[in-house]
Amino acid sequence: MKLEHFHYISRRGLLKGSTGLAAASLLGGIAASPQQALAADDLRAAILKIPGVGKGQPTDADWQKVGEMCLGATKTSIKQGELAGVELSFMGLNNQNVHNVLFRGLSKAWADYTGVKINWIDLAQADYNARLQQSIATKTVDFDVIEMGAPFEGDVCGKGLASEMPDWVKKQIDMDDIVNYLKPPVGTWGGKQYRVTVDGDCHNFNYRSDVFADKGLADAWAKAGNKTPWGVPKTWQQVNAVTKFLKGQKMDGKDVYGYLDPTKGWGGFAFYFLGSRATAYAKHPDDKAWLFDIDTMKPRVNNPAWVRAIQDVVDSLPFEPADQLNADPGTTGFQQFLAGTGSMLSWWGDIGTNVYTNDSSTIQNKAAFDILPGSDDVYNAKTGKWDKLASGPNFAPNLAYLGWGIYVMARVDADPKKQKAAWSLAAHLGGKDIALWMAAYPSGFQCYRNSQHNVDEWVGAGYDKAFISNYLDSQFNSYNHPNGAIEPRIPGIFQYYSAAEDILAQIYSGKVKVQEGADQIAAAWEKLTDQLGRDNQIKLYKGSLGM
Amino acid sequence: MGQEAVSGQVSYQRRAIGLWMVRLATVGFALLALVQVLYVTELSTFGFPSWLPVFLGFGIWGVFLCWGNILRLGEQGWRALFVLPAILLTVAMVIFPTFFGFYIAFSDWNLSSATGQHFNGLANFYQLLADERFWNALSNMIFYVATVIVQYAIAFGLALLLNSEIRGQKFFRVAFLLPFMLSPVAVSWMIGKSMLEFRFGPITNLLRGLGWENPSLLTTPWLAKSTLAAMDAWVWIPFMMILLLAGLQAMSKEVQEAAKVDGASGWQGFWHVTYPLMLQVSMTTVILRIIFQLKLADIVINTTSGGPGGATDTVSSFIFREYKDRSNVGYGTMVAEVYLVLIIIFVSLLLKLSSKVMQRQGA
Repeated sequence: MKLEHFHYISRRGLLKGSTGLAAASLLGGIAASPQQALAADDLRAAILKIPGVGKGQPTDADWQKVGEMCLGATKTSIKQGELAGVELSFMGLNNQNVHNVLFRGLSKAWADYTGVKINWIDLAQADYNARLQQSIATKTVDFDVIEMGAPFEGDVCGKGLASEMPDWVKKQIDMDDIVNYLKPPVGTWGGKQYRVTVDGDCHNFNYRSDVFADKGLADAWAKAGNKTPWGVPKTWQQVNAVTKFLKGQKMDGKDVYGYLDPTKGWGGFAFYFLGSRATAYAKHPDDKAWLFDIDTMKPRVNNPAWVRAIQDVVDSLPFEPADQLNADPGTTGFQQFLAGTGSMLSWWGDIGTNVYTNDSSTIQNKAAFDILPGSDDVYNAKTGKWDKLASGPNFAPNLAYLGWGIYVMARVDADPKKQKAAWSLAAHLGGKDIALWMAAYPSGFQCYRNSQHNVDEWVGAGYDKAFISNYLDSQFNSYNHPNGAIEPRIPGIFQYYSAAEDILAQIYSGKVKVQEGADQIAAAWEKLTDQLGRDNQIKLYKGSLGM
Repeated sequence: MGQEAVSGQVSYQRRAIGLWMVRLATVGFALLALVQVLYVTELSTFGFPSWLPVFLGFGIWGVFLCWGNILRLGEQGWRALFVLPAILLTVAMVIFPTFFGFYIAFSDWNLSSATGQHFNGLANFYQLLADERFWNALSNMIFYVATVIVQYAIAFGLALLLNSEIRGQKFFRVAFLLPFMLSPVAVSWMIGKSMLEFRFGPITNLLRGLGWENPSLLTTPWLAKSTLAAMDAWVWIPFMMILLLAGLQAMSKEVQEAAKVDGASGWQGFWHVTYPLMLQVSMTTVILRIIFQLKLADIVINTTSGGPGGATDTVSSFIFREYKDRSNVGYGTMVAEVYLVLIIIFVSLLLKLSSKVMQRQGA
């Protein structure tokens, strides 16, 4: 007896609750489409209530429940036990106890249903790049499925190590729903689709709404001779001024700080945070490039725009918390901002979804969001001059990392059963419904689908409408911004970032002057480009910019 | 079979079998290695996807070498069996990788490079000579090594304390050893990341309570370096203490009692009797500790990543970043090999110096 089918139907029926639609659909007497649409809506509403916003951080039991409820799409393409005997190795991260740790729970029901055994290879963020590069270089790829960011596509897909996505997967994950900036060329190489997107990445501006609404601070700001009213900064010039002003100020008897700069290396990932300060200065609307010259790969990191951004960090550090020189991005995001230190921060969208769902957050009702600040002027790398745009300040969201994706390795292609299993797992984790849940709760992933911009669904989960509207707008306005700064998907990109981190640390600690340090970074990058093969890098850089 | 062999009377037949066993195994292993070399250099299409069969072949060759020697040489072969496996293992795991490392060090090999590994002569060495970050890390090592003297003084004091008749001696022996039982990685997290955390760390809160407004121990270069040195010392002082304690306990009590009878004060007894007698143990302890200190990396990597601005960087943590974050295998290996040579020279000089001191002491 197919007891599991009975269970499945019962569960869905339960989800449909008192409406009795489950029973009606089983009878088959009602037209299918509205039924299915309603059922899908019910499912999305039901998973968003696990465990419910404000009811503590989700546990493994919650992850398993969500994974089980989202098995519908898998069941349409795979029979129960059809893939029994297949073993898959899945390599991913274990940051903040999510990513792979979360995937385990979300895919348990999938593994039970299909009969596939999954072996997990967990890596810390800082170890990820090294492990992946070693596997590629030594031809010891020992994983079938990998959680990987778009910046590594040059290293993996460019070397023919990934499996091309079958058409049934494209259909199952509804590729059209994915936001525009994550559509091809992202996820593709040589015109072939490789990636099941599970995340959309950009840095947005997180700030403390209570600080910028505080009357005492507003009075002090005016008393200090500032002509503009006290409010949320819109440009980096304003961010810097506010950061300097807040040093020594108190709110509710506690020290208040302004912007938080991460200055300690993070395996290359800390460079993104300088990038977020630099894009408004360096990404001109008339120029797709902002990190390297397109035709030569000459670094721009020592041009006046980048030097100004680095100088901003150096000038702001004396006004930031005393331990800022030992703060990496994890510290600024989770130990400082979420815990109540600092009033402005650039980070990925995780901060917003952690405000109400992370047990260590102390800033409920105090956080708000926007796209990254702009700049009154922008550097034009072609003319070598600073331009003031007729439209006002230049905004250029840093589309940092382009999100995580699930990639299947080419080594499974020789075995059709294994290939099907690997792609089915990727499609399960990249499904439309599971995506909504992952963006709403701590998961390490943020919105990447247009369907995730439905405010009512989030409100149904327990989010405050004003809060979530503000958060989602900051995300989607960044994704859809016409002057977004696109991450170069070129081989070795993290080596560039890592080399920069070492030198930036010396600049921030005062050992090296700003321009001198920027020139050192540029020299290190030039050497690296030559080492990696300049012609190839130029070709891939152009490709990553869609040229 | 053993009795005949051990007795030393080896028959001609057994000698011949042993000889041929060694010869055949050697030829077999050489052929296996040759096949793989030709395959990886693309001079042949037949070979193995990895070097594992060659490595296993080395192990099998080692077994036949030991066995053949027993058959061929009798008692001498048995004696060789006590050291030969250790020698073969050292060759496979230490000597070969070290020399193979030189081959990598003279190449331009970035794991992300489109063209792969290629020979680049002394370019990596010249790069190292001009690399400020390497010299910075090396100069930091002078500081870290110098702290060994302080650690030695504390360890000696603790060893004297535990050697005396104090209450709870056994408890304190175990308690003082505890830090050494902890992994330096755990210490980095427990102390560096938690107890010294600027906002909620108990140590920083205590310092605040004592009037230090901003007790940020890891952001000022000299203070960060001293803090890491202190954390490292906390882990390793028990190691030095236990060696010194063993020396103290092996020392004849009669000598010290004789000094007391002659009217020597406590300090005089220590300075003129105990300390000179402990010099040999002290030298060994300090040299061993310096060798460990030269490899300092884990606490630095986990607590400060070498910062602020390279102030706490060590050569090993620098090599770690060069490999791990930048996949720069060729240059990273060159730095590692040069550092190995520097360590060998430094430790050799140290041993020579200590031997001279001992001789003078003996004289």
